[in-house]
Amino acid sequence: MKKLRLTLVCAVPLLLLLTACGSKPALAPVTLTEQQNKLFQQSCQTCHANAASPAPQMGDIKAWEKRVEKGLPVLVQNAMQGFNAMPAGGMCTICTPDDFEAMIRYMATAQTKTK
Amino acid sequence: MVNRRQFLSLTAATGVGVLLPACHKQSAPVLPVKDANGHYLWQNWSGSEHAYPSQRVAPNNIDELKQVIASAPTPIRCIGAGHSFNGQCTTDGTLLALDNFSGLVGHNNLEYLATVKAGTRLQQLGKLLEDVGQDMVNIPDVNKQTLAGAIATGTHGSGHGLPALHGRVQSFRLLTLQGQEMNCSASENAEIYHAALVGLGAFGIVTEYTLENWPLAHTERQVTMLPLEQMLTEWPAQYAKNRNAEFFYIPFTGLAMRILHNQTDKAVTARGEDKDMESLMDLKKLRDYVSWSPSLRRRVANMVADNHGTEYAVDYGWKLLASERSVRFHEMEYHLPLDAQLDALKEVIAVIETQRPDVFFPIEARVIKGDDRAWLSPFYQRDTGSIAVHAYYEDDYKFLYELVEPILKKHGGRPHWGKLHSLTEKDFVQLYPQWQQVKAIRQQLDPQGKLVNPYLKRVWGV
Repeated sequence: MKKLRLTLVCAVPLLLLLTACGSKPALAPVTLTEQQNKLFQQSCQTCHANAASPAPQMGDIKAWEKRVEKGLPVLVQNAMQGFNAMPAGGMCTICTPDDFEAMIRYMATAQTKTK
Repeated sequence: MVNRRQFLSLTAATGVGVLLPACHKQSAPVLPVKDANGHYLWQNWSGSEHAYPSQRVAPNNIDELKQVIASAPTPIRCIGAGHSFNGQCTTDGTLLALDNFSGLVGHNNLEYLATVKAGTRLQQLGKLLEDVGQDMVNIPDVNKQTLAGAIATGTHGSGHGLPALHGRVQSFRLLTLQGQEMNCSASENAEIYHAALVGLGAFGIVTEYTLENWPLAHTERQVTMLPLEQMLTEWPAQYAKNRNAEFFYIPFTGLAMRILHNQTDKAVTARGEDKDMESLMDLKKLRDYVSWSPSLRRRVANMVADNHGTEYAVDYGWKLLASERSVRFHEMEYHLPLDAQLDALKEVIAVIETQRPDVFFPIEARVIKGDDRAWLSPFYQRDTGSIAVHAYYEDDYKFLYELVEPILKKHGGRPHWGKLHSLTEKDFVQLYPQWQQVKAIRQQLDPQGKLVNPYLKRVWGV
């Protein structure tokens, strides 16, 4: 019995860990502030809400999944430094790292409301 | 441009999938996102320029803007969309965004005038004008810029009978560094109008423009691939009889892509999905795989182009003239006397095709009508033929300075104010007859040099 309990104690966290490894990463949805919504409209949506652009489109969960796998800090850094076709800062002059993080969450989870 | 699937299959079919070492790739330094003072990184669109500005501001109204110019750290640089390829926006002082100065102020459809706020992006401006029955029939190929950024750098489209954007500016409103707002036109503050219209953001802050537009009408777009020799022979006739004419030469292929736009009564025909950028990356693959054999590179491209035909589309001009340019690049463009354009272009092609097999971006040729309005217009008092040479953003682009620029200078070219060049005041004195007068007016309006960064010090010789 003791052996069984030990096995279970070891096995449960391992299973949880494996489950965690196998699941797709997810971002918590976010609601943009009024200012962030304005910045989004002035800059990000030029490419991320434009079917002619190769950028991952707002709300395209599949396109965002593989990017989200890199982790939010990497995505924020890419937004600030530019990455492939994306220009540094995404054409947003006054966006802060917090703004970039919020707007990435917003696009990846397709939230549409503002506070 | 070319049919993508055909291009890929043909490239593979050559059986020469030997990827050459990326010897021309330039390893860009990884820049910290924050400097020791806690200031965040700013870079221009192409990534060639960077800075850590101590302040970034986007004032909401004219009073806030006045506060910025009175007290913000200098140099103060208006950022526009940050699309300029050179260092004119770079600052460790204040980056000033006019994003909140955006939209239509008013319009008049008797004379087809529209007053537009300076921070309006060209991409948005087309729709705003469409809604009031107007159009700009000579917008640039890229439309990410702000109106102020485009005008201040002499940005243009192509058309033998059409001036650049600034050539249709009837007036503008300038906020001086002393906090005074003034209207500038050919009849009001005329000297400032002529000096500061193409002013590189160095005379004050322009807050709005009144544009002379055209009545809204449909435009037909025609895109055709043809041999370069035929393109060059027909070029003068083509630009003379078409409203907007331009062409791209695809290096190492002997092929040109001709783009024509004309007014039409035809109904809208969708332009379709834009494949230009995918085709561009196919040209990169062709470069990567077969640049060791110019003849093979040429044969593959010609096999594909044989089936191209002519593509047609009809819509409003603002929807057709600009294209989605989602691949970043570096660019040098010079504006030459029209008669010198083709000779210079042939020299540029020859030097690239003999010395730089890594180049794959098409070389662009356009025409622009001369104008008298802006003293620093690269088209000042002369009809112009322009030549633009590009390099992929990850590639070495020093050849633009070393090989291309000497040819364009030799033919009397004036550089595009928003693109790469190595010129200094010594050159500009020779190129612009009103240079000293413009410089004196600028000095009067900005005696402390609050708007001048290192790049502009080189330009103004201060």
